[in-house]
Amino acid sequence: MRNSEFKAAFEEYKDAVYRFAWRMMGSAAAAEDIAQDVFLSLLRHPGRFDPNRGNLRPFLLGITRNLVLKRWRDEHQWEELLDEQVSAKPIDLERSEKAEIVGAAVRSLPPLQREVLILFEYEELSLEEIARAVEAEVGTVKSRLHRARENLRRMLAPLKSSNGVRSWNR
Amino acid sequence: MEPLDENELNQLLSEWRAPSAPATLKDRVFPRQRARWWRWLFTGSVRVPVPVALAVVVLIALWIHYSKPAVRPTAAQPPTVSLTDFEPVRQLQPVVLGGQK
Repeated sequence: MRNSEFKAAFEEYKDAVYRFAWRMMGSAAAAEDIAQDVFLSLLRHPGRFDPNRGNLRPFLLGITRNLVLKRWRDEHQWEELLDEQVSAKPIDLERSEKAEIVGAAVRSLPPLQREVLILFEYEELSLEEIARAVEAEVGTVKSRLHRARENLRRMLAPLKSSNGVRSWNR
Repeated sequence: MEPLDENELNQLLSEWRAPSAPATLKDRVFPRQRARWWRWLFTGSVRVPVPVALAVVVLIALWIHYSKPAVRPTAAQPPTVSLTDFEPVRQLQPVVLGGQK
């Protein structure tokens, strides 16, 4: 990969990489660290990207995902990376903004559900691209996505009012 | 409590927006120092593992020690005598000892 190609890739995908890391980590500093590592990894090992296997964007998001999970494992050494468990923390519905509540709800999902939901809903990757990024079968991805949405529908139910979602004034 | 339906959930999910990458990310990926690499000669530093540094110090010390010229003790040497210092006798003056008895 030539220097100009690398610069173009950085300009095109830096926001997607940073956004995904930010949503997964919930910290701007951690997201910046991870985004930096993602692009330095591409710079040092450009041969790892195979254009025949898909676009660069899902490839970079896959690297981001691996670095996020590595950090998660470092910080939660004694916790198993489960597919099911929801570590829901109490959310103050009265004092929090709606966006904060949604963010807190998504972040309380187990990492394997969270990453699939974010890649699908926010980064708009296809199920096949997500499957490659998270190194899982498409069926597994569908199942995690379904469970993530089910969990969120229950967690965010208090925001529902009799006439639609509460304070729905965009 | 009744869970949200699909549309309500989609609407809520779209509320959560993430910020764009900060400008500092570019500086971290493309450090400015790279364009002025020669500055490294003045301000750069090199990290050396302690064992390597110790080995280098020991090697330099040994090199200095063994590269000194061996100082041999100067023994008292006999003065050198050269035949060029001898000159032929100009006038022979023989002296007879005990000849008057």
